Amino acid sequence: MNAQAAAATSTPPAQTRTRTFVQALTEALDLAMERDPNVFLLGEDIGVMGGDFGVTRGLFQKYGAERVRDTPLSEAAIVGAAVGSAMVGMRPVAEIMFADFLGECYDQLVNNAAKMHYMFDGQFKAPIVVRTACGGGFGGGPHHSQSVEGWFLNVPGLVIVAPATPADAKGLLLASIENDNPILFLEHKALYRLKGDVPEGHYTTPLRQAAVRRKGRDVTIVAAMKMVHEALAAAEALVKDGIEAEVIDLRTLRPYDAGAVIDSVRKTGRAVAAVEAPKLGGLAAELSATIAEECFRDLKAPVVRVAGLDAPIPFSLVLEKYILPGKDDIVAGVQKAMANSA
Amino acid sequence: MMLDLELMLDLYRDMWLIRAFEFGLEREFKKGNVPGMLHTGVGQEATQAALAAHLKKTDCFFPDHRCHGLNALAEEKHSGAGRRIMAELFGKATGVSGGKGGSLHSANPAVGNFGDNAVEGSFMATVLGVALAWQMRREPRVACCIIGDGTVGRGEFHESLNMAAIWKLPVLYACVNNGYAISTPVGAAHASADIVDLARGYGFPCVQVDGNDIEMAYDAVRRAVEHIRAGNGPYFLEFKTWRWQGIFAGEFRPPEEVKYWKEDHDPLKLARQKLLDGGRTTATDLDRIEADVKAEIERWIEFALSSPPPDPAKATANVYVGWEVAAR
Repeated sequence: MNAQAAAATSTPPAQTRTRTFVQALTEALDLAMERDPNVFLLGEDIGVMGGDFGVTRGLFQKYGAERVRDTPLSEAAIVGAAVGSAMVGMRPVAEIMFADFLGECYDQLVNNAAKMHYMFDGQFKAPIVVRTACGGGFGGGPHHSQSVEGWFLNVPGLVIVAPATPADAKGLLLASIENDNPILFLEHKALYRLKGDVPEGHYTTPLRQAAVRRKGRDVTIVAAMKMVHEALAAAEALVKDGIEAEVIDLRTLRPYDAGAVIDSVRKTGRAVAAVEAPKLGGLAAELSATIAEECFRDLKAPVVRVAGLDAPIPFSLVLEKYILPGKDDIVAGVQKAMANSA
Repeated sequence: MMLDLELMLDLYRDMWLIRAFEFGLEREFKKGNVPGMLHTGVGQEATQAALAAHLKKTDCFFPDHRCHGLNALAEEKHSGAGRRIMAELFGKATGVSGGKGGSLHSANPAVGNFGDNAVEGSFMATVLGVALAWQMRREPRVACCIIGDGTVGRGEFHESLNMAAIWKLPVLYACVNNGYAISTPVGAAHASADIVDLARGYGFPCVQVDGNDIEMAYDAVRRAVEHIRAGNGPYFLEFKTWRWQGIFAGEFRPPEEVKYWKEDHDPLKLARQKLLDGGRTTATDLDRIEADVKAEIERWIEFALSSPPPDPAKATANVYVGWEVAAR
């Protein structure tokens, strides 16, 4: 399915209200737990406290300690317990407080969850969702700010979902919980307080389908999470130069909707891949390679990657701002693509 | 303690099945018929037979690297198709994991075999979830993970025992202490060569047992499983045993140690002696059991050899549930 069709299916089906990204996630968890008794939550401080970012607030009071389960600081055991319970029919949603901690359960995700269905030839499934807060921009420092998708892009069997809007946060989380594959669900911290229209009740946003957030004829900007908003701001800024940018929100990062990207670049002839993580081995590198392979004859300019610098994320906001890419870098990237056009 | 004759004869047969399986496998491995690497469980048969005797097909076990024989035994007991474990080790389409798993990833949930994980200790975390699900659904099942002494070095050892303790999960930890992690002696790798010493701090029962004495091992597993099934939470068993297989370079252990374990304290010789003592049974009867089992294993090897290889087109099947993988 192409991106236009995907955007159509994610059109709010019901009455919408204004909700924050966090509230949209909470609604999704609440609905999932209400609809399926096999859904349960586990993670550090998700119970009485409602999670470090408040995503599970109120659920402990509604569903009790058995289904909203506080754990010790044991990330391997958290994800391992999720996988094991999923093997026998449960639908666990684990919270890893910061994505930076995924190193502690990397083996569980990469060697267990992702391969469980395959290595036993379909005899087990591992329908887990691991929610985690990623991304920088708030002075979190080297271990509370990273964009980790690159750590996992090369893992067959694993699905990475990364919403950019409150409506998608809810629809994609519900779709993830209901999907039979292991899903790493990335929540960018800078989006938690973002407000938007969120449909009431149950709905799902399709996995593996990108959304076109802005139509444009001159250049395609491919992004996810917070970078979608930076890209939209960049697109508005470029209007005064007579440049109309198309913005694609990938929504699922692995396996991703290559068709939507290819369709758009074939139309615009230029592409900017915008990510917060460093360039080497990352999502922008993959997008760039696929665009080069599939759209070479349509390209009017080399693909531009806008990415974080090849450095850890420093604490001081001044330093952090220097490392992380934003609207201005995307504007510069688009201008570079325009200037380099054949 | 003495087990009744019929039970002892069954266990004797089970132990021989494990040994004959491993000997047959080793022979075929040397011939080049078994790909990959091989870790055999010869010498640890009493421990494995005791576990198989008490775990039902509705329980689960996560086998360790040396559990081919246990996998085959569970398969034979509950599905009547032990040969499918052999076929898996040969990488054949008829194997329990369709040839995708091999020695370290043979599983069949229908018989309670939840599969090994080549990353030692990884499933110490996984077992928690199986146990948690059963606890939440009020199902009186036992989730067992079989670990070696080497695995005790992994962080998951702590995370798992701790979480099982605080949540009172129905987990049976079966630690097979065979003295060495590949070449590293247990006492050099851990603060105590007696693993129960390390496990006791978590506050649930931890029992050390002679893993080569089938009667002791059988009784220890019985107590553990009863404790867990009654809802009393986790239980830790350490089986003191010894593996016959050396390392890649050959035998590295002192001759007197080798002699003790292979000749004086071999689980099959010990069991045989118990069965012969006081004329409970005859050498002829026991020899017949051994010969029957060996013949059966030869039939499994023949089945594995004559089975077709997997269809290469299926190499990308079951990566995702419901989604195909793009072609090259």
